Amino acid sequence: MSDTAVVAGVFVISYGMIIAYSVYLHLRRRRATTRS
Amino acid sequence: MTRIRVLFSVAAAAMTVGLWFALTAPPDSLQGEYSRIINVHVPSLWLAFLAFGVTALGSIMWLWKKKQRWDRLASASAEIGVLFTGIGLFTGMVWGHAVWGRAWDWGDPRLTSTAVMFFVYLGYIALRNAVDDPVVKARRSAILGVVAVVQVPLVYFSVNLFRTLHQTQSIRPDGSTMPAEMLIAMLVNVVAFTILYVALMAARTDVARLEEANRETELLAGDAVKPPKLSEVGDV
Repeated sequence: MSDTAVVAGVFVISYGMIIAYSVYLHLRRRRATTRS
Repeated sequence: MTRIRVLFSVAAAAMTVGLWFALTAPPDSLQGEYSRIINVHVPSLWLAFLAFGVTALGSIMWLWKKKQRWDRLASASAEIGVLFTGIGLFTGMVWGHAVWGRAWDWGDPRLTSTAVMFFVYLGYIALRNAVDDPVVKARRSAILGVVAVVQVPLVYFSVNLFRTLHQTQSIRPDGSTMPAEMLIAMLVNVVAFTILYVALMAARTDVARLEEANRETELLAGDAVKPPKLSEVGDV
């Protein structure tokens, strides 16, 4: 695997973790808002 | 548009600018493309240190004032700090594999102390989930939040105090060892990650506030419809 592909993978996974956590917070907040 | 949406929009824009700086900064002459990882690795760990500092501050304030908002601040910051530490560990392992020829070394003080910090704050989250009573939960996690922050300076200065594979700080009081373009790219990403941290904190504390309100409503409703005990019911 080329260096560029590995570095691109690192960025995709890191940003992916942030996006996944943001979506998780959004869904949890929406559920809490619906129940209130 | 709510305050949280505005914050996330600003954070997304800042992260996009940060990514552009990270991908267009000149690569290091020795490390090549791998040097770009610094733009995620360093900001995420700096923000993890900040997040755990905020957890300690929130914990101290809860122990002093006993106000629920300080507990929300502390717990939200710890969770986001764990996320950033996880990203820092992952990016560091890939970078270490490329540059040092090994992804991990348990004998290395910086790597091991960071891993210990990660697991201690995972334990903080587990502790909160293990206790149901909100006051007991807040007290126990506040004590852990104050004790655990001792690790932050230990992790940060481990590269100066011990012999380690990890390089020493690139930014020091007497200047930086990095070329200007790489330094600017990294600092732009530090700003972007800081804005992201603020947005995540706003969302996470809001979730906690809503869930606490729901829990109180459910408890009150539960009391209202609680069936009478058999001993309290007279003969029908």
